[in-house]
Amino acid sequence: MVADLIESIAKIVFVFSVNLGFFAPVLGWVERKQSAVMQDRIGANRADIFGFTAIGLFHSLADALKVLTKEDFIPTGANRFFHTLAPFICLVPAISTFVVIPFGGRYELFGHQVNLVIADLDVGILFVFALASLATYGVVLAGWSSRSNWSLLGGLRASAQMLSYEVAMGLTIIGVLIVYGSLRLTEIGALQENFFHWGIFLQPLGFVLFLTCAIAENKRVPFDMPEAESELVAGYFTEYSGLKFVMFWMAEFLEIVTISGIVTSLFFGAWHLPFVSDQELLSLFQFAGPNGAALLAMLVNVATFFAKVIFFIWLQMTIRWTLPRFRYDQVMRLCWKMLLPLSLINILITGLVVLVL
Amino acid sequence: MSKMTGLDQTQYHPLVGVSMATLKPKKVRKNVELTLWERLYLFEVLRGLYTTSRHFAVNLIGFVFPPAGKKRKVFTVYYPEEQVVLPPAYRGRPVLVAGPDGAERCVACGLCEKMCPAKAITIMAGERANGDRYPLSYTLDMSRCVYCGYCEEVCPKEAIVMSSEYRGLAQRDRNLMRYSKEQLLRPEDSVKVRLEYIRRIYSKCNY
Repeated sequence: MVADLIESIAKIVFVFSVNLGFFAPVLGWVERKQSAVMQDRIGANRADIFGFTAIGLFHSLADALKVLTKEDFIPTGANRFFHTLAPFICLVPAISTFVVIPFGGRYELFGHQVNLVIADLDVGILFVFALASLATYGVVLAGWSSRSNWSLLGGLRASAQMLSYEVAMGLTIIGVLIVYGSLRLTEIGALQENFFHWGIFLQPLGFVLFLTCAIAENKRVPFDMPEAESELVAGYFTEYSGLKFVMFWMAEFLEIVTISGIVTSLFFGAWHLPFVSDQELLSLFQFAGPNGAALLAMLVNVATFFAKVIFFIWLQMTIRWTLPRFRYDQVMRLCWKMLLPLSLINILITGLVVLVL
Repeated sequence: MSKMTGLDQTQYHPLVGVSMATLKPKKVRKNVELTLWERLYLFEVLRGLYTTSRHFAVNLIGFVFPPAGKKRKVFTVYYPEEQVVLPPAYRGRPVLVAGPDGAERCVACGLCEKMCPAKAITIMAGERANGDRYPLSYTLDMSRCVYCGYCEEVCPKEAIVMSSEYRGLAQRDRNLMRYSKEQLLRPEDSVKVRLEYIRRIYSKCNY
């Protein structure tokens, strides 16, 4: 009982400190620096503490300090309640979707079963979609309650785009669910122990479709219709300042992490190293005794998971700084005329293959 | 415009400018039909990702292990520490050129004052003991200056030139941006390149 409690608290603290304490500030740095390196620039490197610049890492700190001193501005005529509520509705799903993503397997530690996921829900992936669709409300409310034309247009675009892509995104992973026969992300992860059972080999089309839909759902650049810096000033968060503005950015960055986590768990073998099964990993660390072996295997698996997550974060950043924006009708056409039929075909083919085998 | 008609009705080919053959616009292809491969988009996306990833990898390696002897691939200039050498055509702060005796060449004719479209220049003329005119005060209001270079073009004595100075042009106080004659005076050597340049472009070599 006590051990369960300690385990739960430890996992929650770990996930939240990694997400909020590491990924959220560091992704701000990554976005600046990676775009600079890709474009043959140097990037932010001027913020320093006693002369140490730490290749621009302190810019996140400087941003945080700056944001804390900003005025919390609410425009005249805006709906104060919803204007304040909207960033929270955006941020809370972004933080909490990570609870169902397993960042490690099951381990026998000191006679206690450790399952490295905060909430091992039966509905797993559905929970992610349920919360992700809640984030739409945050965006639409932010656009509507700001009493600004830019914001309203951004919010309207967001509602249409996000709802459309949710349909396609839900359908793209049905193929994966058919293949693994489970909604529980820990089970899906455990079934990918064999390298050739990774989702990318069983559902290559599903992976491409899911990644596209996920980036569109996150409103990042090839699909940044709700923000549209070149058309609407900043889209749905034009009228936000200070910490509320940062909450939208943090929600966006945490959604990148969550998307990477889901892609890793569904398509890239979750916490498994390629070509190394759990049993082989345990026997590799046999010298440390049963508990030590489990602990070392756990560390290796968690490191593997986060290495994959970081790779997909890099991939999403690269896509964001490579591709030009779509026009709005192109975004919708891509969704309803390309992604949706393709995902239906994917389901059909997967179903037939599973039926025949 | 490949042929021009002169005043004496003779046709000749102008020597300056770009020839018409070069200027002829390329045929713009509108509504280009993309091939199926391009319309699939995914493979073109991968091609784009390959390009950016290559730049990313090359630059990342270049940051960690800078290639020795080669100029770096990143051309960013760390401004206060590094400065670029500007070409002579750059129009920075207008300065007064000092003659060999250290006094200004300006004879306070007032042409630059008259010419200045922003009315940035104010001159008060004076007379030396030997009868030469000189500016008693030459005030240049840099908060008004538009860096057009007319003063330099009109000056008969090459006394005012656009130097390549660009630091400290902006100040927080407008009073600090009003420069006096003493602040603007520069030795001739420091603006030699610009002097040679304006002799060439304004055909000032005649006098």
